[in-house]
Amino acid sequence: MTGLTADPLDLAALIAAVSDPENGGLTSFLGCIRREDAIRPVIAIEYEAYEELTETELAAVAAEATSRFGAHVACMHRSGRVEVGEPSVAVAVSAPHRSAAFAACRYVIDELKVRAPIWKRMHYADGATEWIDGRDRVADRRPA
Amino acid sequence: MASPISVTVRLFASLREAAGASRMTLSVPHATPVGALWSHLPEGISAGEPPAALRYALNHEWTLPGAPLRDGDEVAFVLPVSGG
Repeated sequence: MTGLTADPLDLAALIAAVSDPENGGLTSFLGCIRREDAIRPVIAIEYEAYEELTETELAAVAAEATSRFGAHVACMHRSGRVEVGEPSVAVAVSAPHRSAAFAACRYVIDELKVRAPIWKRMHYADGATEWIDGRDRVADRRPA
Repeated sequence: MASPISVTVRLFASLREAAGASRMTLSVPHATPVGALWSHLPEGISAGEPPAALRYALNHEWTLPGAPLRDGDEVAFVLPVSGG
């Protein structure tokens, strides 16, 4: 189970998708919208994806994690607007033992961040919005 | 000389907003390289060099700027990504 969804993420469904009596280690990761009060308070992030290639990349990352770590992988990313505090990405993996499960989960979220063609538009509490795609003003850009 | 070809360009995020469209059709010379498509965009977008670290997808797969285009191809301009 990998892909994009405009609906709230359902971690229980991801966990169910990777559950396997042969796999004693199961872990998950949720990436949630940070408020960043000390920098510039955020109220929401809007995600826009190049859907076809995102689906391909998410499936490829999951397949690589399965190949490397023997893990079952489920991973879903939100599209559209996600409010502060809410999850925008969810990963669940299971593997025979915990070390492989943790490693696979880390692999999936790290690869997804750099490979999935998804962009975010920040919605700030002060009413401003800003695309984070390398074209905005340098002064407002920060590491993702 | 071969007749021009028609290619579809996909735009996202701030590029899409600048263009006012998520896709557009361009008529370009046969075998135009993917990386040269930028200069065929409407003037308001293509002013200056392509954004740093711009990548390209051809028919939904990653490609390199030198890939030659054929009629009916679809090219996506992939700005630095920021998902997660």
